[in-house]
Amino acid sequence: MPAIITVEDLNKHFKVYKHHRGILGPLRNLFSRASSLVRAVDGITFEIKSGELVGYLGPNGAGKSTTLKMLTGLLVPTSGKIIVQDQIPWKNRTNYVAEIGAVFGQRTTLWWDLPVIESLDLLQHIYKIPDDRFQQNLNEFRELLELDTFLNTPVRALSLGQRMRADICAALLHDPKLLFLDEPTIGLDVVAKERIRQFIQHINEERGITVLLTTHDLSDVEKLCKRVMIIDHGKLLYDGKLHLLQEDFGGKRQLIVDFMENYESVSVEGGTITERDGTRMTIHFSSQEITASELINQLSAHYRIRDLEVREPDIETTIRRIYEDRLLEQPE
Amino acid sequence: MRLFWELSKLAFQRQLTYRAATLAGLATNFFFGMLRASVLIALFHGNSEIAGMTITDAITYTGLTQGTIAFLSLFSWFEVMNSVYTGAVSSDMLKPMNYFNFWLAQDTGRAFASFLLRGLTIMIAYAIFFDITTPQSMPQWLAFFMVLILAWLISFSWRFLVNLAAFWTPNALGIARLAFILSWYMSGFLFPLRFFPPWFVKLCYLTPFPYTINAVVEVYLGLVDGQALVGIILAQVAWILMLILASMIALRAGVRRLEILGG
Ligand SMILES: Nc1ncnc2c1ncn2[C@@H]1O[C@H](COP(=O)(O)OP(=O)(O)O)[C@@H](O)[C@H]1O
Ligand SMILES: [Mg+2]
Repeated sequence: MPAIITVEDLNKHFKVYKHHRGILGPLRNLFSRASSLVRAVDGITFEIKSGELVGYLGPNGAGKSTTLKMLTGLLVPTSGKIIVQDQIPWKNRTNYVAEIGAVFGQRTTLWWDLPVIESLDLLQHIYKIPDDRFQQNLNEFRELLELDTFLNTPVRALSLGQRMRADICAALLHDPKLLFLDEPTIGLDVVAKERIRQFIQHINEERGITVLLTTHDLSDVEKLCKRVMIIDHGKLLYDGKLHLLQEDFGGKRQLIVDFMENYESVSVEGGTITERDGTRMTIHFSSQEITASELINQLSAHYRIRDLEVREPDIETTIRRIYEDRLLEQPE
Repeated sequence: MRLFWELSKLAFQRQLTYRAATLAGLATNFFFGMLRASVLIALFHGNSEIAGMTITDAITYTGLTQGTIAFLSLFSWFEVMNSVYTGAVSSDMLKPMNYFNFWLAQDTGRAFASFLLRGLTIMIAYAIFFDITTPQSMPQWLAFFMVLILAWLISFSWRFLVNLAAFWTPNALGIARLAFILSWYMSGFLFPLRFFPPWFVKLCYLTPFPYTINAVVEVYLGLVDGQALVGIILAQVAWILMLILASMIALRAGVRRLEILGG
């Protein structure tokens, strides 16, 4: 499969000017323009192949939206290379945007005071979509996204979830091969999230549309994406399969032991005691070093045990560790 | 082309839905028209003619100017500015369309609706209450409509241009307000330019403003014809081309700025 998106050493730096406060503030702003540099996107490289569904995961302020804005041609990079479908997004933008679909969660592409259906009709003319194609797509998306109940409602009166569904429909009417979604599930309840996830999966599988979606919600990625890119502070921390991330960096399983009595000191080989609270103790261990039953045998040989629990590492903790400890950051 | 038509149609329909606002606007425009007419009549002091205008011309002038307020969005038009400030412009940049034409199309529908609802109605009300002048021949009517449409194009392109200030400053509203007020004086909206001293009139003709309302009034009243009329039309076309060019350049620079600084 050929690459549909190629990104090489991409950077976007914003100069942020410090504002003076107080009465003379505006005057002082005129003369001294102290500034600092925000490295919103800092040396990112990746490739996405046609047909992939990739999650771009990171906490708030990580640089997700900035990356997507560059990929859609809204922002010009400070440096680096982006090729999407053989085009450079910000050059000749009008041509470029005709061939992609994009939804930025916080903002609607539809017209605020128009009923949804009239906005969609306008988009038909903006993208010059042939009538039959437009009708076919609209009918399909109407059903899958359950738009019928609010097709005649003005966009401003829609709930967040309804608006998102209408926006996603709007982004796909012109049959783009590539869809960018910026936080498509942000602020939605579980049911609404699920509906959108299912739709994204559907168009990826049935129509072969390549999807890149950003999110700070891990469950989006867990449910949808085979491949995840994790970004924080503008840097790509991980790029690969979600379950491999687990094996490589999650690693640590937990054994929680409840002893019969309060031992003064407990020693374990092959594990690390991370928490102790009276008779209760948490031990971290890694499967490569020791199995759970070896560890339990070892403990029960020396101490009297009331209860035991083995916890598998959850991915959320793994990712939090990656963010917090910057586990994956390459030394500069 | 189809898109232009659809956008115009929507903007036209939108105007039709503002019934209460239209009625209120009409009443206000008509009331102030009568007020202005009485001021002008007092100014005539029993003279039958001032600066080539008769009393009937002067009354007609107030009707025409009040009638163009909505048509030319003379008091306010901050839509492009708002779309820059709300960030809606980014959504529009994601659509394969020409941003200038996108707004021009909407203003076409808006202006046409305003022409019918607020322009034509005021002139009819004037015709009922006053003795007013009308163009004397078919060619004069044609010239009037031509100058009127060109005046709207000038008006749209400078309004668009002024709105683009929003790409550079958070205070574009202040700048635009000032520009609108300037336009009331220099377009001959507040008083016919004929009533002003020559130095001021000369100053006005360095701007496109006289080619909006003043030109429309003079052609309607038959105060210019022949070569002077052709001159006005050519000047209008020249201003339209210049303003559109300036808009394109400013838009490109503004968008470029947005692409670098982010929204
Ligand atoms: N236009 C801008 N000017 C200055 N700083 C910006 C601008 N846009 C984004 N940033 C900064 O860049 C960083 C990344 O922002 P963003 O890409 O929006 O993060 P995310 O979408 O992952 O939450 C943040 O620190 C943000 O404050
Ligand atoms: Mg974001």
